[in-house]
Amino acid sequence: MINWLARSAMVTFYPRSEQFPGIDEMPLDEYLARFKRESAPLMWAGFVLGTLFFHLTPLFTVFIPLPAFALSAATRERHAQRLSSHRIYYVRQPVFLLKMIAGLLWGADPAVRSRLGLAPYPADPGTWRRS
Amino acid sequence: MTHIAFREEDLSLEVDYVVVGSGAGGATAANELARGGATVALIEAGPWRDPEDYPSSTYGAMRDVFDDWGVGIARGRALWPIVQASCVGGTTVINCAICVRTPEDVMLQWERDLGVGNKAWRDALWKHQDKLEVELCAEVVPPAAAGRSSLLAAKGAEAVRYDGHPMTRYVKGCVGSGQCLQGCKQLKKQSLNLQFVPEVMALGGTVLSCAPAERVLLEGRRAVGVSGRFREPVTRRKGGRYTVRARKAVVVAASVTRTAPLLMASGVKHPLLGRGFRAHPGTGVFGVYDHDVDMNVGATQGWASVQYRIEPGMKVETLSIPPEMVASRLAGAGKELVARMGDYRRMAMWVVAVRAEAVGRIKRGLLGEVSVDYSFARPDMERLRKGLALLARTHFAAGAVRVLPGIYGLPYEIGPDQVDLIENGPLDPRSYILISSHLFGGATMDKDPTRGVCDEYGRVHGYEGLVVADASVIPTTLGVNPQHTIMALARSFADRLLDA
Ligand SMILES: Cc1cc2nc3c(=O)[nH]c(=O)nc-3n(C[C@H](O)[C@H](O)[C@H](O)COP(=O)(O)OP(=O)(O)OC[C@H]3O[C@@H](n4cnc5c(N)ncnc54)[C@H](O)[C@@H]3O)c2cc1C
Ligand code: SF4
Repeated sequence: MINWLARSAMVTFYPRSEQFPGIDEMPLDEYLARFKRESAPLMWAGFVLGTLFFHLTPLFTVFIPLPAFALSAATRERHAQRLSSHRIYYVRQPVFLLKMIAGLLWGADPAVRSRLGLAPYPADPGTWRRS
Repeated sequence: MTHIAFREEDLSLEVDYVVVGSGAGGATAANELARGGATVALIEAGPWRDPEDYPSSTYGAMRDVFDDWGVGIARGRALWPIVQASCVGGTTVINCAICVRTPEDVMLQWERDLGVGNKAWRDALWKHQDKLEVELCAEVVPPAAAGRSSLLAAKGAEAVRYDGHPMTRYVKGCVGSGQCLQGCKQLKKQSLNLQFVPEVMALGGTVLSCAPAERVLLEGRRAVGVSGRFREPVTRRKGGRYTVRARKAVVVAASVTRTAPLLMASGVKHPLLGRGFRAHPGTGVFGVYDHDVDMNVGATQGWASVQYRIEPGMKVETLSIPPEMVASRLAGAGKELVARMGDYRRMAMWVVAVRAEAVGRIKRGLLGEVSVDYSFARPDMERLRKGLALLARTHFAAGAVRVLPGIYGLPYEIGPDQVDLIENGPLDPRSYILISSHLFGGATMDKDPTRGVCDEYGRVHGYEGLVVADASVIPTTLGVNPQHTIMALARSFADRLLDA
């Protein structure tokens, strides 16, 4: 469930444009599973909170008493914009974390990098010296 | 040559000196002790990653080399991340290797106000710095590796009429791949996992990696060893326990945020432990040009100015960051955000690091968690605004068509006649996103045991055989990048141990 909610929020932040692919064209489910498995517990907890916060707050941004996933794509985007520029710091912060974690996937995607004239990243080996 | 990584079995060893933490301070101290003929065990919480193990993406860097995914936060009015590494070589693996000598005015202030050092002490530090520059191949960024962002900064600073210079870094033949923050796969950066740590082993020392120390062992007021437990770096599963007894001394160099809490957990008593946390928090301003800058091409940091180090107290530098970091740094969401990312190739990012007056505190919670209380007061916010305005002016003088201040409450972008918006920008720290990577304090030096935790050779007041040899001992900000100072202090502390 949380992955589904996170996906919907992340897609709102990084949609497809003329220049770039959207995050929904990237291996988002695999990324979320990996992030949950690999990240520090505090980071994951912050991400889950950010996701829930994103979905539970449209009443205060676009004044519609529905969760964000039930909004139209355009209204959900307006909600995301208002949250990330909200005058209350503790509203902006959880959303910043969500946007950052989504951005780590989107901005490192080979298709995005190629549009920016950059070669794809080699895989992160995750290895270390064992002896 | 002994390297012991994660293991299930328990381990016990006895050596002359145990050094905790293999970063700038720890690796240098261990190396000097080993060169002096002592047997040394160097204990590192993180894994040993060689250049072929280094990550490429920011996600990989956060996962593999940052301390705890970079979730360290300085908490005050705003929440500002603290970035450090956790791996053999410590933060030298992910830093930009900028090499700046300890300013004389800083050391004179230490002598005058804290009774720390004298002329001979200062001369010894500089001599160490002379040698370190040779050993670690300190080199001015070659023009071919400078990158367009640094060339633009030089041009802008000249037009605005302040001094700047290509950086000197511990890098041999930089090829400008812009990947310092993920570790230099080109083997050009002389990080200490490649330099001093292997030499410790070659001289008969033992390196324990994936081995966070849990306690310094004390017998009365004498430090006699270190104990801890291996931890698997991916799953964080706990392995065997280890105990390393030290015949002569324990040197703690686990970083500013980890050294004081480790000493607290070990029962070291000093009312100032964890106090005196200081930093150079920094943030960036993007200039958008009418031509490609490709900031990711060239040295990650290639140009700097220290003209304003003393007054108002700041340093400005170039810094390149990859698209995935820019993506969350730019304001907005959705189509608007993605459209803004279209400017990436034409962006140059320059940063100001504030030589802040603010003083904070490092704390250890009941469950062993570490937190840092730290907040900017008005004078630091004013410095920050001045620095950001200077950078904006420099961008425009270098030909930027727009500047992105990245300040909450200001327009997303401004033109050349709007720099005063930054100058008069908000004084609320929550309007800015600052990151702290130059940290100081927590176990500061002072001749007087009632005013500092350590003496001028890092020896903890009131204890025997217990030395701190990392940035925790530094009692003030420096206004320059700290690695050179940390290494020189660590060498000098190790020499004093050997002399004793
Ligand atoms: C992104 C970035 C860029 C930077 N660029 C520069 C630069 O270009 N020039 C410069 O001068 N400075 C730079 N700095 C700052 C500089 O790298 C640090 O000030 C310096 O490395 C600090 O040295 P240290 O020995 O105090 O700690 P570190 O180098 O952080 O080393 C501490 C080590 O101790 C280990 N440790 C922690 N707890 C334990 C434990 N319980 N048991 C065992 N081991 C433990 C850690 O895992 C770590 O490896 C940069 C910092 C960052 C984050
Ligand atoms: S810019 Fe590239 S080649 Fe130069 S030191 Fe950094 S990582 Fe190495």
